[in-house]
Amino acid sequence: MTMIDLAAVVSQVRRGMIPAHVYGDPEIFALERDRLFSRSWVFLAHESEIPDPGDYVVRRVLTDSFIVVRDEAGTIHVMFNMCLHRGMQVCRAELGNASHFRCPYHAWTYRNDGRLAGLPFHEDAYGGEDGFARKDQRLLPAPAMDTYRGLIFISLDPAAPKLRDYLGDFAFYLDFYVNQSPAGIELRGPQRWRVKANWKIGAENFAGDSYHTPHTHASVVEIGLFREPKASKRKEGALYQAGPGAGTTYKLPPGGDFASQLRYVGYPDAMIPAISQTWSDQQKALVEDSGFMVSAATLFPNLSLVHNWPQIDDRGTVRPFISLRQWQPVSERETEVLSWFAVDAAAPEEFKRDSYKAYLMCFGISGMFEQDDVENWVSITDMATGSMARRLNLNSRMGLTSDGKPVKPPIAAFAGPGVAYQGFGEYGQRHWLSQWSDHLEREPAPKQATDLGVAR
Amino acid sequence: MSRPLPYSDPAHLAAHQFLVEEAALLDAADYQGWLDLITEDIRYVMPVRVTTARGAPASNGMGHFDEDMYALRKRVKRLATDHAWTEDPPSRTRHFVTNVRTFRAGPDELRVESALLLFRSRGDTREADLISAGRADLLRETSGGLMLARREITVDEAVLRTQNLAVFL
Repeated sequence: MTMIDLAAVVSQVRRGMIPAHVYGDPEIFALERDRLFSRSWVFLAHESEIPDPGDYVVRRVLTDSFIVVRDEAGTIHVMFNMCLHRGMQVCRAELGNASHFRCPYHAWTYRNDGRLAGLPFHEDAYGGEDGFARKDQRLLPAPAMDTYRGLIFISLDPAAPKLRDYLGDFAFYLDFYVNQSPAGIELRGPQRWRVKANWKIGAENFAGDSYHTPHTHASVVEIGLFREPKASKRKEGALYQAGPGAGTTYKLPPGGDFASQLRYVGYPDAMIPAISQTWSDQQKALVEDSGFMVSAATLFPNLSLVHNWPQIDDRGTVRPFISLRQWQPVSERETEVLSWFAVDAAAPEEFKRDSYKAYLMCFGISGMFEQDDVENWVSITDMATGSMARRLNLNSRMGLTSDGKPVKPPIAAFAGPGVAYQGFGEYGQRHWLSQWSDHLEREPAPKQATDLGVAR
Repeated sequence: MSRPLPYSDPAHLAAHQFLVEEAALLDAADYQGWLDLITEDIRYVMPVRVTTARGAPASNGMGHFDEDMYALRKRVKRLATDHAWTEDPPSRTRHFVTNVRTFRAGPDELRVESALLLFRSRGDTREADLISAGRADLLRETSGGLMLARREITVDEAVLRTQNLAVFL
């Protein structure tokens, strides 16, 4: 029996007023599990984390554990980490290399492509194939799996659209982070830690909250981590919404050509030709003509990206870094953060090292940006769990006039797809919340259970 | 690995005292005082731990910290601003240092291993955090006394349960 009026919650959210309890409400969390994470594409891993046959990582979607593995032929499989027999977790490591996975309970053994290779005493215990048909049995695959530029996603909905179709216009922006050369990216990590914060807060923040930077992150500007006082520059950036994603950008100095803008954010000359050849004319135009460089972004529901360029030494060397991060829900008031460092696989080793240093100073569990973000998000969640939060609708209408029109028109000469606004506004957060509302309004899809090994 | 120095060895006693005095500075949030104990060529690292079959050595290439003096100074400088929200109000911390073993590493260097339990309490509604770790340090004997030249922190959790590492271990 549900206590909340979902239709009322969604209608408030759609007008830009957020019932505060959604950031700490177990009923909302159950709806998110059943209606959102049961359907949406969710990021699990990147192919560079499992480069060789037999390499695997174990990742979750909420509480469901999946083995993401490259088989002997090089094909990637994502399978539910539960033995077909008594349900034991088949793989209890988080990464490694294996030709087979053997269940510790009764020694059922699976090849690294998921196929059942053996079970002890098949003849004695089951009467052979008649009692249990071994042939073609395999660990339960993820209902849908697809990749984009090495990023591995699954959906628990077998009828999910193709991943590329889902990404839509956001792929244009995603490529700035994951496609800087034909070599693609490679990852370090993730750092993993649990924070007592609702998962939505981080996802929304990265989708468009440039407004928090001047104050929340005042300290990193004060200590000279950046070449210029960036906090006040934040309002010159563009906020874009495109497909299932949204993000923030920084305004680049006026007048620079493409190569000089890349140099400005710290890319060395050795990388610029490949970037120039890899990015489309439209992507280059966003940098050179519109004058914007991507910074934070969120792909709905819970994969965020960040690109920033601090000074990494006393000589004032500026180096950019890229991070992929996932807000993995644990409960309505707890989130596991997974934060990866990403870098162009073809970049010079020296750049990789410098960029990694830039990442560690800014983001991740010790990052000087992220520290203050999480403090805020934990406090919000603390405040959202009680009864007073049910009496308060948070104002998330920044950038809208009273009749729901944008305070300023979209940027006319913005080279990227979707729509973009300059200055502060909660366009990206509302874009994210609108998708969240769409999911919560839909009834959960029925789930089809599978019999295995039973004579037909 | 050679055997540890006897606990009565003056070098061991000095190393142990160094770690206890360092912990006192950290618990007092005297980070400038802490930096004064650190050499310019410091390397301060804390690799991410991963869960592997049979404990096979493996790394995902990532650290929670991988610091040089530039990065440590920036962190300390940040905590001294009026806008380091995550430590305002400050955490109450207690660095428990134990299991200290000292090895002679060179004419003027000691390798010192220790166990660390960091208790961290924030605010008045949150549960406190514990971080358990081993540390392997390189202490250098200088004219100004022992200084920390290298620290590798081996944290005992694969998934940390503290909201951030705005604290030093």
